[in-house]
Amino acid sequence: MSVSTAVVLAAGEGTRLRPLTRNRPKPMLPAANRPILEHVFDALVDAGMDELVCVVGYKHDRVQDHFGPSYRDVPVQYVRQHKQLGSGHALLQARAAVDGPPLVVNGDRLIESSMVEAVAEGFERHGPRAALAVMEHPDAGQYGAVVLENDALTEIIEKPTTGEYRLINAGIYAFDAGIFDEIADTPRSAGELALTDTIARLADREQVRGIRCEGMWVDATYPWDLLTVARTVLARGKVDVSQREEGVWVHDDARVHDDATLRSPVVVGPDSEIGPGAVVGPDAALGYNVTVGANVTVERTVLDADARVDAGSVLIDTVTGQDVDVGAGSVVPGGQADVRVGNEVFEDQRLGAVLADRVTAEGDVSVDPGTLVGPSAHLHTGAHVRGQIPDGAEVMR
Amino acid sequence: MCGIIGCAGRDGETLDVLVHGLSKLEYRGYDSAGVALAGSDLDVCKTAGEIDDLRAALEERSPSGSVGIGHTRWSTHGPPTDENAHPHLDCNREVAVVHNGIIENYQALRDELSTAGHEFRSDTDTEVVPHLIEDALADGADPEEAVREAIARLEGSYAVSVVMSGVDRIFAARNDSPLVLGIDDEAYYLASDVPAFRDHTDRVIYLADGEFAVVDADGYRVTTLDGEPVEKTVDTVDWDPEETGKSGYDHFMLKEIHEQPRALRQCLRGRVDELAGQVDLADLGDLSPRGIHLVACGTSYHAAVYAAQLFQQAGIPAQAFLASEYATSPPPIGDALVIGVTQSGETADTLSALREARKRGARTLAVTNTVGSTAARECDHAMYIRAGPEIGVAATKTFSSQIAALNLLALAITSVGDAREVISGLRDLPGAVQEILDTSTARKIAEAYRDAESYFFIGRGLHYPVALEGALKMKEITYKHAEGFAAGELKHGPLALVTQDTPVFAIVTGDDEQATKTVGNVKEVEARDAPVVAVTDGASDVERYADHVLEVPDTHRRVAAVVANVQLQLVAYHTADMLGRSIDKPRNLAKSVTVE
Repeated sequence: MSVSTAVVLAAGEGTRLRPLTRNRPKPMLPAANRPILEHVFDALVDAGMDELVCVVGYKHDRVQDHFGPSYRDVPVQYVRQHKQLGSGHALLQARAAVDGPPLVVNGDRLIESSMVEAVAEGFERHGPRAALAVMEHPDAGQYGAVVLENDALTEIIEKPTTGEYRLINAGIYAFDAGIFDEIADTPRSAGELALTDTIARLADREQVRGIRCEGMWVDATYPWDLLTVARTVLARGKVDVSQREEGVWVHDDARVHDDATLRSPVVVGPDSEIGPGAVVGPDAALGYNVTVGANVTVERTVLDADARVDAGSVLIDTVTGQDVDVGAGSVVPGGQADVRVGNEVFEDQRLGAVLADRVTAEGDVSVDPGTLVGPSAHLHTGAHVRGQIPDGAEVMR
Repeated sequence: MCGIIGCAGRDGETLDVLVHGLSKLEYRGYDSAGVALAGSDLDVCKTAGEIDDLRAALEERSPSGSVGIGHTRWSTHGPPTDENAHPHLDCNREVAVVHNGIIENYQALRDELSTAGHEFRSDTDTEVVPHLIEDALADGADPEEAVREAIARLEGSYAVSVVMSGVDRIFAARNDSPLVLGIDDEAYYLASDVPAFRDHTDRVIYLADGEFAVVDADGYRVTTLDGEPVEKTVDTVDWDPEETGKSGYDHFMLKEIHEQPRALRQCLRGRVDELAGQVDLADLGDLSPRGIHLVACGTSYHAAVYAAQLFQQAGIPAQAFLASEYATSPPPIGDALVIGVTQSGETADTLSALREARKRGARTLAVTNTVGSTAARECDHAMYIRAGPEIGVAATKTFSSQIAALNLLALAITSVGDAREVISGLRDLPGAVQEILDTSTARKIAEAYRDAESYFFIGRGLHYPVALEGALKMKEITYKHAEGFAAGELKHGPLALVTQDTPVFAIVTGDDEQATKTVGNVKEVEARDAPVVAVTDGASDVERYADHVLEVPDTHRRVAAVVANVQLQLVAYHTADMLGRSIDKPRNLAKSVTVE
């Protein structure tokens, strides 16, 4: 039976990406100029899926509002996972919405359509009960590692502590319709149902085929990873707006002043405006309705929707949330720094700053490398900030 | 107010196509529904109730025929009963008619037909039509000629479709009520609105008043009522049919409230240049009006009241009128530009006001959401608000988009000093609305006051129409009494109604004279022990006198009205939801009111 319905798991917050996930789940964070999930949907539609079932939970309305009832003429049905009790539990919520064998993907990682096609084909041709995409990855220990014997999956283990693994589970699966019963029969661990636990049970019965894949597979674990994600997307030209010249993508409904400079690679989303003397790029991604004032410098930076950067400001190695307002003459000089998240310290990360949704920097604000500014924080004129700034904080000079 | 569907060339599927089409037209009315299929026989099924009731009635039987018509009704003449449901039949049960509109001379026709021995089964104006056709057939006219003769006798507004036993054609005509033809390769459709057949085809012909169409499996023919051939152009519509799905929300209204950031972006797209401080509405040409009359109904009227203030601030004499009043007692128009604000572009009262203005030589402009609508076609100019289809009967996103569009219009035809600031404010609007959607505590307010009998809304200046709109939303979907007042007017009478059981919603943003005065009015209310909900950006000290606060971001004052209104939309929605109301289809109301 052919696989034509895809279930996309997009219910989890992605807590390690806080503070960017305050108002939306990880799949809705930007991969360059549009949400990660849009790239996932593209891969599925390009691979011929003709029905999408999206499991939503945390801040579900942001997913529903963005895509509405269809994406590229393919109907999208939404299923709610009210409590986030694991990926198996999430898939189980889609049971009533699926007839026939589902293709299942994680909604929070960039994948390519060739991988989806390979898994669907491998499953259709060989079965037996499940197929999953596997890839070589240098950091297998950070993800779900797998072991294959003659294409049969023999082991699947989440974040192994030993370094002997080199293949990872790419998070693209095809199952027969019996998967829902299998999940329901899987014992919960700590109250949760992980899809990998069910796959491990099927693997014990030699019912899972591993499909080796290559191509773009990008995951963002921490906020600064969104810079790498954007760079990868731009390098591969996975951009949905028209290309003006090599590596310069400007939406038809964006306005770029004749005296502004766009340095490749760079993407400018719809409704955005770039003023005279601004220098944007390389590796800059502007979402929709972004305003870059006169003489602003934006380099290796993701400016999400509705962001506004006023005249003379400099943003380097910066990730913003939506509706961020950076007043004139503010500077994020960028570079490497130790980033502190909670009690953990990540050494030598290249990060200018993370400015979460609706941060306001009045003007002449300077931000040290590695700073995380929480949502709706208000940095008053002349403030100098570093480290972690909590949600809604008022920072005076 | 009703919806019509017709279909030819879908042998075997006719019934499914009709019922599906009716479900897409339910926003036009939903108190009774019916279908008639014709081939060698005429097969009719109709019932009081919603489309689901018709589906249930159809389960016991499955009418078939090569052509068919269907109708969903919103009562104007006679209560919603099985008898009053369309289609209506002649005495011999060989002619079936569906109709949207009001036949003004129906009483005279009915008397005449009754005297001649015709028996009427319903209270409707429509039923005269099949009997007139029956008479013409009896006099020897062929089917097409009989329908033409009957239509020629009607006065008033109508979109009519007719099928007959033994005739595999549909006859249709319109005057002052919408009717669209859908063209597919081997099938043809007729409907009051495009979504009814949009799942089958995107090619459409908009019929004009006084036109007559004959449709069968092989094609269509459009003529005048007298039979003169008319050349029609086929348009392509680009609506996504699935936009009519609820995308995971319980109600269209909530979905549409959430669609506002996107709708606003679409409204502004390509029309503003903030860095240059310019608005580009070149397709409207040079309007430069000396005066402006805005005509509208319901929510659109509130947008018109808001817009009148914008034009006045720019030094242009401007006034908003209720379209139904304007149509029958128009003021001196002079050389004013008359702007009709209508979501559907089919609102009969607004069309009537615009026609009255045209008759008096005025230039007219339609501000509408519906491309190809009657208002857009009849006016000298049309500006589209680009909100996308709105299905919920209570208007939400179209109000916000109307406000955004009217701001663009004001910027384009007036020269105000702060254009760049206003454009900047408008471009901040989608993000500001998203902030409300992310942070609103409206559900808590709804929980606190869901049992109140009465709600009052007050605001001043641009917040006055928001107070009116806040009250209208509350009325429409909660069925509770609600009134909006200009804040200063409260003490001139309505204050007598204010008690500890009447929550008062006060919209106060900024810290200017208007805000200070409104805060004064809030104190008057507070002194009467009424619970006060302040919708505020925190710039004034209104919070000191309020029991609850609904926060809005600090934005340009023109934009603040829209953002404040979103909070009130959410309060009305959540209150209605908790009260278990039929939110998308409130009782007695229809989406676009195509009768006067």
